[in-house]
Amino acid sequence: MFKFFSKHENRVEELIYKYLENFQLICENFEKAVFSCIREPLCEEFNFLKEQTDKYESKADDIIDEINNLMYGKVLIPDSREDIMKLLHALDKIPGYLEIVLFMIKYQKLVIPEKFFKDIQELIKISLEACETLSKQVIGFIKKETGTRTFMNTIDKHESHCDYIEKRLIQKTFTSNIDPFVKLQLKELIICMGDISDQADRVSKMVNIFSMKRMV
Amino acid sequence: MYSLFGGIFLGWSLGANDASNIFGTAVSSRMIKFWTAAFLASIFVILGALISGQAGIETLKGLTSFDISQAVISSIAAALTVSAMTFLGLPVSTSQAVVGAIIGIGIINSQLHLAGLGKIFICWFTTPVGGALITIILYKLLAFVYNHLKISLFRSDQLLRICLVISGSYGAYALGANNVANVAAVFVGAGTLSISGAALIGGLSIAFGILTFSKPVMETIGKKLVSLDPFSALMVSMAVGITIHIYTLIGVPVSSSQAVVGSVLGIGIIKGASTVSIHTLKNILLAWFLTPVIACLIAILITFGSYLEYTG
Repeated sequence: MFKFFSKHENRVEELIYKYLENFQLICENFEKAVFSCIREPLCEEFNFLKEQTDKYESKADDIIDEINNLMYGKVLIPDSREDIMKLLHALDKIPGYLEIVLFMIKYQKLVIPEKFFKDIQELIKISLEACETLSKQVIGFIKKETGTRTFMNTIDKHESHCDYIEKRLIQKTFTSNIDPFVKLQLKELIICMGDISDQADRVSKMVNIFSMKRMV
Repeated sequence: MYSLFGGIFLGWSLGANDASNIFGTAVSSRMIKFWTAAFLASIFVILGALISGQAGIETLKGLTSFDISQAVISSIAAALTVSAMTFLGLPVSTSQAVVGAIIGIGIINSQLHLAGLGKIFICWFTTPVGGALITIILYKLLAFVYNHLKISLFRSDQLLRICLVISGSYGAYALGANNVANVAAVFVGAGTLSISGAALIGGLSIAFGILTFSKPVMETIGKKLVSLDPFSALMVSMAVGITIHIYTLIGVPVSSSQAVVGSVLGIGIIKGASTVSIHTLKNILLAWFLTPVIACLIAILITFGSYLEYTG
C-alpha cells in the first residue's frame, strides 16, 4: 500500500542503496589501486584503477545530487530528511579521501619504500573494513534493523587500530634514512590514509545517534 | 438573517484560531501542506458539526432562555472577548467566552441552570488533565508498537504522515462536533434556528475561518509551542482529537487550546523535559479565569446598554 503512494520515497531509497553499492566499488578499486602501486609503482594498472575510482566517485556525486533534488521536493518528513542528507554528505567525504590518496600517489610520483609495505597494506585493509562495516550500518539504519551499536563498536575498534598503525608508520618514517622530502610526502600520505577510518568512525557515531533519535 | 452574523463571525474566528490546535504542529513542521490540512479540516469540521454536534448545542441552549437580541448580544460579547484576549496575547478559549456570555445573559434573565453549569466547569478543569493523561497512555502503548515495527525508515515516515492526516481529520471532526455549539447554540435557544440548521451554519462558518484565515496561525503554532518530534506530534494530535471527542459525547464544548497544552505537558512528563514554560502556564491560568468573567461582564454591559433610551 505504501509503495503505491510514494514514488519519490521509493526512488530515494533505491538511490541510497545504489550509492552504497557504488561506495563499495570505490573502496574495492581504491584497494586494488594502492596494492598495485605497492607491487609496481605508477604502473598502467594503477592508472587504470585510479581512473575507475575517479569515475565511481563522480557517479557517487551524481547520485547525491539526485537525492538532494528529490529531498528538496519534500520527500520524507523534515527530521528524517535532514538526518539522511547529513549522513550522506558525511559519508561522501570518504570517497573524497580515497581520491586524494590516489591523487597524491600519482601526481607526487610517490614510491612507497619496501619497509612500509606491510604496515600500509594493513592500514588500508582495516580502514576499508571499517568502511564496509559502515555501509552495513547505514543499511541497517535505513531498514530500522537492530545492531547499529554493535557496528559502531566494530568501527571504533578498527579506527583505534588504524590510529595505532598510523602513529607507528609516522614514527618509522622519521626514524628511517630516506630522503627528508620523501619523508614529508609519506607523512602527508599516511595522515590522509588515517583520515579514512577517522571519518568512518565519525559517520558511524552519527548513524548511532540518528538511530537512537528514532526510538520513541 | 442579519442577526446570525454575530454567530458566523464567532465561527469564523474559531475556525481561524482553533484549526491550528488540530493540524498546527504538522503544518508548521512541514509534514503536511497547509492546503491539504485546511481542506481536510474544513470537510471534517462540517461533518462533525452535522453528525455529532447536537449534544453540545442541547447543553448550551439549556443553560438559560434567550430571545433573539440576547442571542446576538452573547455572540458579540464572546467574539469581543476572544478578540481582546487574542490582542493581549493570552491563550483564549472560545467555549469559555461563549459560556461566560451566556451566564451574563442568564444573570440578567435571573435564569441559570446551575446543574448544567457545574457539568461545564468540571469539564473545563478536566480538559487539560484529560489531554495529558490520554497522551501519556497513547504514547506508552503506541511507542511500544512503533519501536517493534519491522519497517524501513521510509515506510515508518510514510506511516507517521498517513497517521497524522487521519488523526488530524479525526481531530477536526471532533472540533466541529464539540465547538459548533459555541457558534450556534444561542440561536437555537432563541428559536431562530433548528438544531440541524444551526449545526450546518456553525460548521460552515468554522470551515470558512479555516480556509480564509488559519494559515498564519497554523504556521506559527510550532514556534509558540515547543518543537516536538514527529511521533510526539502525532500523539498530541491524536490525544487532542480523543479528548475533544469524549467531551462531545458528554455534550460539553471545551477548549481545544487547553487540550493541546495538556497534551504537550503529557509529552513533557514522559520525556522528563519541560515542554511548556511557567510563563505560558501562568498565562493559561490567567486566561482560564479572565475569559468567562470578561465575556460575562461584556454581555451584561451590552444588555444594559441596549436598554438605555435617549431622553434628551
